[in-house]
Amino acid sequence: MGTHSLQQLTIPHPTRVICAPNGVPHAVDIAGRRRTVVAVRDQWIAQDRWWTDDPVERHFYELIVDPGRVVFVFCELRSSEWFLYGHPRAAAG
Amino acid sequence: MIIAVALPRFSLHIALLTHRIPVDALAALAPRPDAPQHVGACTPQAAAHGVRAGLRVAEAIARCPGLLLLPPDPDATAAAHERLLVRLEHLGAAVASDTPGEACFVADGLLRLHGGYEVLIRRVHAVLPVGAMGRIGVAPTRFVAQQAAHHAPTQLPYVVTRDEMAAFLAPLSMHALPISAPRAQGFWDVGIRTIGAVAALTRAAALEHLGRNELRAWHIARGEDDEPLLPRTPPQPLRVHVRFDEPVDTLATIEIAARILLEELARTARTRGTSLRGLILRARLIGHSSWMREIALRDATTDVARLTLATLPLLTHISAPIEELAIDADASGGQIAQQLSLASLARDERTRRTHEVVAHIRAAMGDGAVMRAIPLETWSDLPERQWALIPYSSSPSHTPRE
Repeated sequence: MGTHSLQQLTIPHPTRVICAPNGVPHAVDIAGRRRTVVAVRDQWIAQDRWWTDDPVERHFYELIVDPGRVVFVFCELRSSEWFLYGHPRAAAG
Repeated sequence: MIIAVALPRFSLHIALLTHRIPVDALAALAPRPDAPQHVGACTPQAAAHGVRAGLRVAEAIARCPGLLLLPPDPDATAAAHERLLVRLEHLGAAVASDTPGEACFVADGLLRLHGGYEVLIRRVHAVLPVGAMGRIGVAPTRFVAQQAAHHAPTQLPYVVTRDEMAAFLAPLSMHALPISAPRAQGFWDVGIRTIGAVAALTRAAALEHLGRNELRAWHIARGEDDEPLLPRTPPQPLRVHVRFDEPVDTLATIEIAARILLEELARTARTRGTSLRGLILRARLIGHSSWMREIALRDATTDVARLTLATLPLLTHISAPIEELAIDADASGGQIAQQLSLASLARDERTRRTHEVVAHIRAAMGDGAVMRAIPLETWSDLPERQWALIPYSSSPSHTPRE
């Protein structure tokens, strides 16, 4: 009999984000190409799983990048690492 | 004659092994979170400090400040018990067992096979787990054989012949008899403390104390237990399990995992031409603990909807985040005859074609070629926890919209 596992559908990928002095993303590396942020559509902070040994604290951004695609990135506040999720290929195109 | 095997403090022994704690530690089984807060079986070293099974947790710790309370591991206990039964069945025994760590079987048919009692008992000893201090009792009835096993030394069997039964049973506590707690309290209140005292009652007096339903205990006390041993049917086990990357505490996720496993079980049983008689749900909890529930199905089935209906409500009783969910099934049922429908509905036809397409794609490109997105925790702020992919199931219970 087999072993199953639930595969995650939306997997955040580590990425490089260049921020302005005020901490807001200025450019995002998507599929090896640097995309300039045109506008920040939304941003929010999520604190989750604080009841576990591995709490999550993230600053999310919904960005419009050159040439007009919407991407989602977040910064893990505990490690200061940036991740990209959503549709990176569409954004790259 | 009946041979009984007893592994004393079996659940505690398994818990000690799981937690890698020496068997001579000051330890006792902790109560389950949803049960009365009384300690379970304890080691002899803890018993020397006044701890005993059934004592309230606070009182047990007051009596023995260094007492280790180990969470019970029913999953590992059941697995070890099953291994014990299978080993005995490999000797040719038709084994009956109601309690983990205990089993009995009729020896008469095995004597010629093994060459006599001495060899048979030596082989039974050999299949007992090492270090579990297994004991063996031999007697003409099941109850006496079980009691003999409980009082046997570790290395030697305790043999009670029919002539010795009355003398053997007489000094034993009447609590060993299969009687309900109020009846036992009734005996205690009138000074009946031993099996010998119960056996000395007249039938009328026993009937008055025990009622017709529990009068069998009086017959057992008199060594008149002539109820035949009912051995189990060796199960044809099927096992599926799913592991989670991190502990899951969301009921919706656990239910989805259970559905996937049930579909897999039903599909496998159908492929083998059998059906499922019973299920055992097992969950590995965080902190080296486990949870387990048994489900006896009224009729053997491979209907996923019925399996789901029987299973999902029990998942609400899981008391901690889980790392692994497994379902063991007894697939010893016969093939289920499926009545064909006279009218073929358009929806059924679409479903059939969809499944056919999926089967073709899978055959060409592998199981991972067709997946289904299912919502997990759509309310979560974390994107990776919101949706998941599972293999598209071709089970007939699925509708095309899935």
